Amino acid sequence: MSNTDVGTDNEVIERSADEPGAFALLFDRHAPAIYRYAAQRLGEGSAEDVMSETFLVAFEKRAAYDLAIVDARPWLFGIATRLMHKHVRLEARAWKGMVADLAAQLSPDMIEQAGARLDAARLTRRLASALRGLPASDRDTLLLYAWGDLDYAGIARALDVPIGTVRSRLNRARRILRTAAGTNDPELEKEHGRVDAAAQHT
Amino acid sequence: MDELTLLRNTRSETEPPESTLHRGRAALLAAASGSAQPHISTSRRPRRARRFAIGGLSTVGAAALVAGLVLTDVVGLAGWRGGADAAAAAVLDEASAAAITSVDQAVQPGQYLRVNTRGVHLSSGGIGDVVASYQYASDDTLYRPADPSDDWVWVRGPQSIAATFGPESEQVANAWWEAVSSSSGSFEAGDLLRAPGGAFYGGDAGAGFADLDQLPRDPYRLLNYIYRVTLGSGPSPDTEALVYMADRLRAGNVPADLRAAMYKAAAMIPGVTFISDQATLDGRTGVAIGRVEDAWGTRVDIIIDPDTGTFIGDREVLLRDQDGVPAGTAVRWTSVTSSVVDEAPEGGSVCGKMTVNPDTGQC
Repeated sequence: MSNTDVGTDNEVIERSADEPGAFALLFDRHAPAIYRYAAQRLGEGSAEDVMSETFLVAFEKRAAYDLAIVDARPWLFGIATRLMHKHVRLEARAWKGMVADLAAQLSPDMIEQAGARLDAARLTRRLASALRGLPASDRDTLLLYAWGDLDYAGIARALDVPIGTVRSRLNRARRILRTAAGTNDPELEKEHGRVDAAAQHT
Repeated sequence: MDELTLLRNTRSETEPPESTLHRGRAALLAAASGSAQPHISTSRRPRRARRFAIGGLSTVGAAALVAGLVLTDVVGLAGWRGGADAAAAAVLDEASAAAITSVDQAVQPGQYLRVNTRGVHLSSGGIGDVVASYQYASDDTLYRPADPSDDWVWVRGPQSIAATFGPESEQVANAWWEAVSSSSGSFEAGDLLRAPGGAFYGGDAGAGFADLDQLPRDPYRLLNYIYRVTLGSGPSPDTEALVYMADRLRAGNVPADLRAAMYKAAAMIPGVTFISDQATLDGRTGVAIGRVEDAWGTRVDIIIDPDTGTFIGDREVLLRDQDGVPAGTAVRWTSVTSSVVDEAPEGGSVCGKMTVNPDTGQC
């Protein structure tokens, strides 16, 4: 990629007011992450459309961007999340499909550690089914956190809700997921930040 | 290790193909330069294929076959790879004939389509080192107004423990129920929701009700359509097609002509077999057809009233002992009853027992 230098996200957005083409920098930086997030939620068949549309919408709305915020990812993920609401059924199906695929990625070791003495396929099926059962707002919050790598403040910005709401939604969603995964552990009831930040994904 | 880490570890690390990035970037630059957006092709096939193949047709193979599928669904996966066994085909044809001659009761202005869904689901939980599975029952009733933009009402009956499998299972199930009944915010203990357009919990309005008119009534095209829209999902295209039908029928709003087409389409799915002509679900008896899914270790069944073509429900039967649950258990089932009524219960709110944020109005 050629455009490497050239400032933070908010600076790029500010510049794009006069120089629309500069917005492509934002695309180069964040399009792959948006694509991955959409591919995970909807399947790869629809990820391209969501990615492409996210940046078109962002471009049109760039004048409304709060230039005090350096990182544009929460804004972009928020747009992508709203666009994905058109695909509720597709999303439910994608999760059914993800199960067998993802079971392969969960090593027996991890399953053992989870304390869930279930085979990997069963476990991911349960996760997928628990995801499907969540109210949309809880699901968005959880997946922005787990798959979009946003922090509480980022999610609050992406979904335009107070941080307290993010926290309560996450707690509720995690409780449901925990039951589904069979990883009940009183220790985890406490609110803390990113648990297990060192989790390996290879 | 916690549930979030588990979820995070299921993340897709798939990088978008270069061509995808190029197209997206080009579309953006076109918009930025004020020119019309270039046409973005939507007929791509998934780049990374899923890695399993069941029932003679892999999802990869299916993807390749359907890559150039025309939108009319004249060409596709249906019809040339065999179909259901003879007995299943016979009962499905009979049910289809019965459905096509039945007349759906019309929902007049001011009336509601009332869909009652009773079901049993498998869940699991843990207390300390004890992890076990149990089943819980649900009983939901949806009132859908004649004008879909009016208020919909969703009565979520209290859930309950349906079955346990040994002392540990019982312990875990009881712990679940105690947690549910001790919290005032548990929808599991029963709830009443009301939302204009069916946008419960701030979700999509009328999800699952919108596209019924657009589904093909020709069984062959319908099946091609289903294969196409479910492509890449599920353990195999054929099981996924049957699951798709069960998902739609379970909503309780499929009109008679589409129901008839679905039964005929099911008869064209390879691996579908006749299970029983005396299958009982929630006290109602009908014929069952099903498909064994090795990847799940279960069989997915659909149960139909052969005399009227009415969809009674669906179930998933465990074929091997698993997590303390014995083979032969219907790990999950749903029974559906639809009727037209003059009134819906009063009260209820969009979020029910869930907390509403006063600033945003969201749950």
